[in-house]
Amino acid sequence: MRILRSIRHKSCADGSFMKEFLLDAPVPEGFFAYLGNFGHVEALPNLGEGFYKFEKPDWFSIKGFAGDTTVEVRFKKEVMDLTVDFLYLLFSSYREGAIDLSVLKQREQAIRRRVREHLYGRG
Amino acid sequence: MAEGPPIIYLNNAATTWPKPPEVLEAVRQSLALPVFGSGRTTGSQGEDYITLAREALSALFVADPPEHVVFTQNATDSLNLLIQGSLAGCEAGCRVLTTALDHNSVLRPLHELERQGRIRLTVLPFEENGTVSPESVEAAITPDTRLMVTAHGSNVLGSVQDISRIGEVLHDHGVFFIADGAQTAGHIPINLRALPVDAYVFTGHKGLFGIPGTGGFYLRDPESVAPVRYGGTGTDSFSLFQPREMPERFESGTHNYPGLAALAAGANYVASIGVKAVAEKAERQTAFLIRELKKEPNVTVYNESPSLPIVSFNIRGMENDDVGFILARAYGVIARTGLHCAPLVHRAIDGGSGSVRLSLSWFTTDEECRLTARAVKEIARNADSSVDSP
Repeated sequence: MRILRSIRHKSCADGSFMKEFLLDAPVPEGFFAYLGNFGHVEALPNLGEGFYKFEKPDWFSIKGFAGDTTVEVRFKKEVMDLTVDFLYLLFSSYREGAIDLSVLKQREQAIRRRVREHLYGRG
Repeated sequence: MAEGPPIIYLNNAATTWPKPPEVLEAVRQSLALPVFGSGRTTGSQGEDYITLAREALSALFVADPPEHVVFTQNATDSLNLLIQGSLAGCEAGCRVLTTALDHNSVLRPLHELERQGRIRLTVLPFEENGTVSPESVEAAITPDTRLMVTAHGSNVLGSVQDISRIGEVLHDHGVFFIADGAQTAGHIPINLRALPVDAYVFTGHKGLFGIPGTGGFYLRDPESVAPVRYGGTGTDSFSLFQPREMPERFESGTHNYPGLAALAAGANYVASIGVKAVAEKAERQTAFLIRELKKEPNVTVYNESPSLPIVSFNIRGMENDDVGFILARAYGVIARTGLHCAPLVHRAIDGGSGSVRLSLSWFTTDEECRLTARAVKEIARNADSSVDSP
């Protein structure tokens, strides 16, 4: 799955930075289960084709409906430069069936350290 | 969900949609011929949209004379101009009153003046019914109080202030009174001949059905506010100073002709229906929505008796932003979420986290209200079934 473009954005009251991403294909339900490997996913499966919200604290959150071609992403503004590439990687790495998560996990580990340092210092 | 559901537009407190056909036609017509503005052209075949708009608003607000209706870009622009202009002689510092109900269009200009040391600011809290009592206004007045600026109607709670009694109290103490009518103009009857306000601010693109980029104010005594903008007016051009006459005292530069054509048409449209009829329909539909929402124990409605067609609510266990997202994407209901540029209201009612706001217009149908209530209730019921995905 690929992000085609960011179609609008704004700064939110909670200090986050919101972007809406247009995807090259409808989001399958399995995508949100896959995201669960990297954070917390909540679902309201009976609304529309299923509403999902992925939270990766201090990084970003993703919300959207299964079957939709757009998702809304809220970045923690202070570390957005560090995390935005990982978001693109999450989308481009997804495919149906078994996925090797090792590369993604390594990348996540490396970025996590930098995010923590940026937000909370080296201590 | 490739093709979304049809739109149910309930964000009318931000900007009304749709616009009456008369408004769209007025914009088209205003651009079909060269601009006609007295003193700015030798042409005579065009409509004088500025005068038409002034007369339409003067009639709608029972505000005499029409020349005391001044046009600006929007309500925020009007408020900045009036606040700055009414405090022009206040170099030594004076006290200004406002309320926690107010929008950032009032709060930010006042807080900036406070930061500059030009005023001392008192922000009055509101009561459970979403209003500030005249008694608390009177108690806050000090010998150095010069000005009170407050929202006539709350854009979050839909409550309407008793500006008649508040105005009387303020005038008893010689305090200048600016009422921000951004949410009330076109929604409830306004009679400025009877109301003791010194200035009443309106915006064009909400209840008056104009297009964005227009607004203005009615000013009772022009001498009470100093102009803070200067420039060409098409009149008295030999003078190198701003004319003192109204409305040129406050209107410089080329007007927004298509916007004012739309505003005149919008105001006339509201007048043709009758503001009372607009208010009655809104009251019935708003009461229906609130009654339905209250049936869900998960739903908190923040003002159960609003005087304006505004319903603010939250669903327990869900972020207001998520509720708005689901309403829009799964049901086509366009609401607004967050703080609605009124942070102090939210600090008081929901701890500052914000709410979902549904706001109606004359064009909102009963069926749209029914579908919206059903959508909110369905989301609320499902909020209980939120699951952690595997």
